[in-house]
Amino acid sequence: MKRIRFGVLISYLILFIFAIITVFPFVYMILGGLMSFQETTSIPPTLIPHHFEWNNYAKVFARAPFARYFFNTILTASVTTLVSLFNSLLGAFAMVNLRFKGKGLVQMILLSLLMVPGEAIIFTNYNTIAKMGLLNTYIGLVLPFLTSIFYMYYLQSYFGSISTTIYKAAMIDGASDWDYIWKILVPMSKSGLFTVGLLSFISGWNSFLWPLLVTNEDTMRLLNNGLSSFASDAGSETQLQLAAATLTVLPVLVLYFIFRKQIIKGVVRNDLKG
Amino acid sequence: METNQKKAWLFLAPTIIFVTLFSIYPILRALGMSFQSGSLIDLHWSGLNNYQYIFHDPEFWLALRNTALYAIISVPLGLVISIMLAWIIFDKVKHQSFFETTFFMPYVTSTIAIGIVFRYIFNGDYGMLNFILRLLHLPAPNWIDDPAWSLVTIIIFGIWTSLAFNIVILMGALRNIDPNFYTIADMYGASDKDKFWRITMPELVPTLAFLLTMNIIGAFKIYTSVYALFNGQAGIGNSGTTAVFYIYNKFQIVGTPGVAMAATVILFLLILFATFLQRKMIKKIGEN
Amino acid sequence: MDNNKFVEVKNLRKVYDNGHEAIKNVSFSVKKGDLVCLLGPSGCGKTTILNMLAGLLNPTAGEILFDGKSMVKVAPKDRHIGYVFQNYALYPHMTVLQNVMFPLTVGKNKRSKAEAKKVAQKYMQLTQIMDLADQKPGNLSGGQQQRVAIARALVQEPKILLMDEPLSNLDARLRLKIREEIRSLVKSVGITTLFVTHDQEEALSIGDKIILFNDGIIQQDDLGQNFYLEPNNYFVANFIGNPVIDNFKVIKTDQELRSSQFTIPLALLDASRFKRNLPNGEYILSVRPENITPQKDGFLHVKVDDVELIGRERILKFTYDQVQARSLINLEESIQPGDEVTLQLKFNRIFIFTPGGERVY
Repeated sequence: MKRIRFGVLISYLILFIFAIITVFPFVYMILGGLMSFQETTSIPPTLIPHHFEWNNYAKVFARAPFARYFFNTILTASVTTLVSLFNSLLGAFAMVNLRFKGKGLVQMILLSLLMVPGEAIIFTNYNTIAKMGLLNTYIGLVLPFLTSIFYMYYLQSYFGSISTTIYKAAMIDGASDWDYIWKILVPMSKSGLFTVGLLSFISGWNSFLWPLLVTNEDTMRLLNNGLSSFASDAGSETQLQLAAATLTVLPVLVLYFIFRKQIIKGVVRNDLKG
Repeated sequence: METNQKKAWLFLAPTIIFVTLFSIYPILRALGMSFQSGSLIDLHWSGLNNYQYIFHDPEFWLALRNTALYAIISVPLGLVISIMLAWIIFDKVKHQSFFETTFFMPYVTSTIAIGIVFRYIFNGDYGMLNFILRLLHLPAPNWIDDPAWSLVTIIIFGIWTSLAFNIVILMGALRNIDPNFYTIADMYGASDKDKFWRITMPELVPTLAFLLTMNIIGAFKIYTSVYALFNGQAGIGNSGTTAVFYIYNKFQIVGTPGVAMAATVILFLLILFATFLQRKMIKKIGEN
Repeated sequence: MDNNKFVEVKNLRKVYDNGHEAIKNVSFSVKKGDLVCLLGPSGCGKTTILNMLAGLLNPTAGEILFDGKSMVKVAPKDRHIGYVFQNYALYPHMTVLQNVMFPLTVGKNKRSKAEAKKVAQKYMQLTQIMDLADQKPGNLSGGQQQRVAIARALVQEPKILLMDEPLSNLDARLRLKIREEIRSLVKSVGITTLFVTHDQEEALSIGDKIILFNDGIIQQDDLGQNFYLEPNNYFVANFIGNPVIDNFKVIKTDQELRSSQFTIPLALLDASRFKRNLPNGEYILSVRPENITPQKDGFLHVKVDDVELIGRERILKFTYDQVQARSLINLEESIQPGDEVTLQLKFNRIFIFTPGGERVY
């Protein structure tokens, strides 16, 4: 009996240590963003600031156009999410419910493209966008991401789990494909679509390499690029860097805590990558 | 139904157009560019020159070495820790969803932002990590500014980031194991150890195979976390450079897209090879 | 317009993309207002036919006529049909009322909401699901879902109702109840109905006539009792009837039918029942278990393997020529396993088939 208890104790200890390692950076980020400069560089390190320096946030907004970054990020992440969701919805519907020649081939090509790492094509895509004269534009920021093979594949598996007789019944009931999509498929797959939308939005929010390539004007930057250049500019002012990092992370964390069940379920359901 | 043909292509049209333009074309274009020299606006064919160049470029080899080391060390370590944590949560803890939520946090957060925090924690002078290490009378290296330690720092950060996805997927797989397996094992008097090694682990093999593939692919693409840790650099003196860093540098900074694309092709082939190798290995394990 | 051929199928053929020929060559017709059962073992192609009638599958060849008009190129929604699926295919996110109203809210049949609701309620009353109007299908029992599916199928007031194994997801007792309800419902509405089932008892009880399929062709298209009394071929004789028919291998000579243990003089058979002149050789003699019963002076001497009670009767099982055979006896008869009995045939109730399955007597 005693040995088992000891094992459980060790397990809990390991679990708590790793839980702290996981959470600590977030807590420390928020706390550090409220410290004074002296506090951030003191030895021994400060954990809880003596006085909450809310002023740090004002400084961040004053030094870099973070409001603009927010706007840009929300805009591009929303557009990417909505359009790619729409396109994936139509495509997945066709792949699941319609019978046509060449379906197998399309599926095969899409599946093999799923294996291609984004980093392998991002630079040539940059070239395409540059040639189209779309550098430093919103269109350039979103264009390559208006379809997502991955989300389409995810929706395919989601729609595939709906009995085929539902589609047949709708056909006999007189519904057109368009009716079927909007009156039956979408309401029936609400939670799946919502999860895909959330994950797409979050990955849009966190995108970094692509906007880094296609924008160099400060007004067109997204949050993460703004943050990273702010971190270089702010140099040693760690407290401002941490405040800016908090600004970037907090909205997503809030979203995450509200919808954690859907997000985790969605990720597990299809081993979804971001 | 004949009418379905046209309709189907219509529904697929947006996907097909975008995929052709931004997935298929760039792959072919990358392959083509890898045989071309010059700047983006003045490309000309140069055969295998780019490939010759990168294979004689010590920086490329360093990038590959770092990437490979990162993959070989961080992926198995990350997986082992994830299995351990997932199992503890699954087997011993009541509030599973609380821990699941906690451990999944890094997955949704921006690597850039959290990298800034890590840079701060890892700071050689006033960082929290070294403070603790000194308290414990352990060596406290200069994680960020010592080139010898850059790769270690990257690996630690990489493991921290990778736990989230692994744990959540493993929890899903653990919940999928038929509880009757354990009930029957209990009836035969199996110990916790027996149950873990003879029921849980074999049942997890497909999931582990999937995670291994995903993690290795992810590891080969490492870029953003290095960028974040070292504030846009690849460590002091490029000591922490990686394959994608090399590609970005050659493409955007040096302005030799052909060289960058040759490196891309090599990276892509390496990823394919690693995936293929793992499939073979997993198959062997499955047969035994 | 020919009301005897309200639904007409001519030389229908279906080959699937994978090369499987599900329907070889099928022709039949259905009288207006009739309830016809498409019966057959699973995989015989009956659902394929129903899907082609509905327009959910395209025939490879052949013609489908509803009320004299060709339907082959007509979309499902324009065929004026209702369809009840095996799994009911109710829309899970809609209430019962919304489900039943749905056909009236889309496409050509679109009506104002108030009007759609009125029609929907009429059919919900008919199927007795008014009190379920605001429930979601997930909360309903199998029988209730079934009624909703039927109401939804009828709400467009179709000319033809197609039902695909509508009772197979219900438990045995409910199945009996609902099948009677379905029959009286479609009869009261007067709609022409095609009802697919694999259950012969269901088909016999519900159908005005039955079309029995196997191997992608029609085995028999007839009134229910004729499947029993006058099966077209060996397959029909063996498919219909419970317990199944007994089959004995016999050799025909000029004088008699000879089996390993018994002979039947040809003189005992009814000459007029022979379909054609039989050459001598191997045949199969089939007889329903109730027509081969223990009798003192029987000609077939067997040892009883087992006796099984089925309700009011008992099945006496015995082995003959290494094949198990059955005899249906009264509950009162005191025969035990191991007993030896002699059996007698009713000669005017036997069938004779060629080894290929053709019925010749």
